[in-house]
Amino acid sequence: MGDKIWLPCPVALLLLATVFSVLLPGAAGFTPSLDSDFTFTLPAGQKECFYQPMPLKASLEIEYQVLDGAGLDIDFHLASPEGRTLVFEQRKSDGVHTVETEDGDYMFCFDNTFSTISEKVIFFELILDNMGEQEQEQEDWKKYITGTDMLDMKLEDILESINSIKARLSKSGHIQTLLRAFEARDRNIQESNFDRVNFWSMVNLVVMVVVSAIQVYMLKSLFEDKRKSRT
Amino acid sequence: GWRRAMGRPALLLLALCAAGARGLYFHIGETEKRCFIEEIPDETMVIGNYRTQMWDKQKEVFLPSTPGLGMHVEVKDPEGKVVLSRQYGSEGRFTFTSHTPGDHQICLHSNSTRMALFAGGRLRVHLDIQVGEHANNYPEIAARDKLTELQLRARQLLDQVEQIQKEQDYQRYREERFRLTSESTNQRVLWWSIAQTVILILTGIWQMRHLKSFFEAKKLV
Repeated sequence: MGDKIWLPCPVALLLLATVFSVLLPGAAGFTPSLDSDFTFTLPAGQKECFYQPMPLKASLEIEYQVLDGAGLDIDFHLASPEGRTLVFEQRKSDGVHTVETEDGDYMFCFDNTFSTISEKVIFFELILDNMGEQEQEQEDWKKYITGTDMLDMKLEDILESINSIKARLSKSGHIQTLLRAFEARDRNIQESNFDRVNFWSMVNLVVMVVVSAIQVYMLKSLFEDKRKSRT
Repeated sequence: GWRRAMGRPALLLLALCAAGARGLYFHIGETEKRCFIEEIPDETMVIGNYRTQMWDKQKEVFLPSTPGLGMHVEVKDPEGKVVLSRQYGSEGRFTFTSHTPGDHQICLHSNSTRMALFAGGRLRVHLDIQVGEHANNYPEIAARDKLTELQLRARQLLDQVEQIQKEQDYQRYREERFRLTSESTNQRVLWWSIAQTVILILTGIWQMRHLKSFFEAKKLV
């Protein structure tokens, strides 16, 4: 067994009981992650807002892209906790914004009110930094592991490189999310091109045939009337 | 609530309590439905957590919890088939695993039956959706498989790499679909232009011949 101290079970339960009873009822049931991305559909003529609580001196990066829908553009608005407008963009197709945060709830809105018929599919990604939770997570993991690893001295180096690998893999994951959003948008553009080519080709064909027939019969009818009026 | 507390140390609970206020939230109306799209590869687990708060008109604050309020969660797979359709309480956690790659749609709406509760008209929903390896609960895996710290971290890295690889495979499949659509569009544009030219020429010839025979018949030419 390792050199970790495990409380005997009843004492641990008692500790849990006291701590839990002290906590507010309705305490959160989950720890939200630091980075999140969402894709949603914004109907025509509507506006949707999201809020992100932030602590002081953290960094909030928000990146959004319009993936589908007519002109592929949207209005974007970012406001600080006091209500001051930090970013206001109109009819943009994508955007990236980073802010140094103050304590409070940041609000960002996507506005599709300028569009009367087309709904937009919007992808946005929030990257939060300096939230002070990284160390907490590692501490929590320590509580669950069993046994020790040999070579305690080398362990620190190994852990450091593992952390570095983890950070780099997270970055790869982020880039993949971004590429996925770009690809989805390009694919949607192409599929709409495909539909448009089909539709307008058909219309073109019908119009050509109808127009040529009308031209011929109109000319014919002109001559027939004159003949009748002469006799 | 008590059962959930059993498996966690005090420190984690406190961390949760503080961190619980940190997630993204939005407001929805009474009958409003909010949908989110998750484009995921196949055999990927998705865990969603949400927490609701109701607007108290008198005190002008959001109440910490909403007893008696339920949220209906519906998940549809890329073909439109319903994968999950369940009612949860004011706080809930839903899970599903994708079996086909593509756009899965997660929709939430409240099922409030008591109009009085919604006098203010606003419900605050905190939402967090975890996909793939982010959905794994590492403390639980460590306890279950009895792993040392090094083993646990190696496991986490392996999961992360596996997820990236799955996403890359899915990306390859999507790119192929994209390429097929583009090539098909290009071909159609080409053939249509040729067909259009041929039709125009034929129509012109037909018009001239028909009119000529018409004029000859009417003894104008």
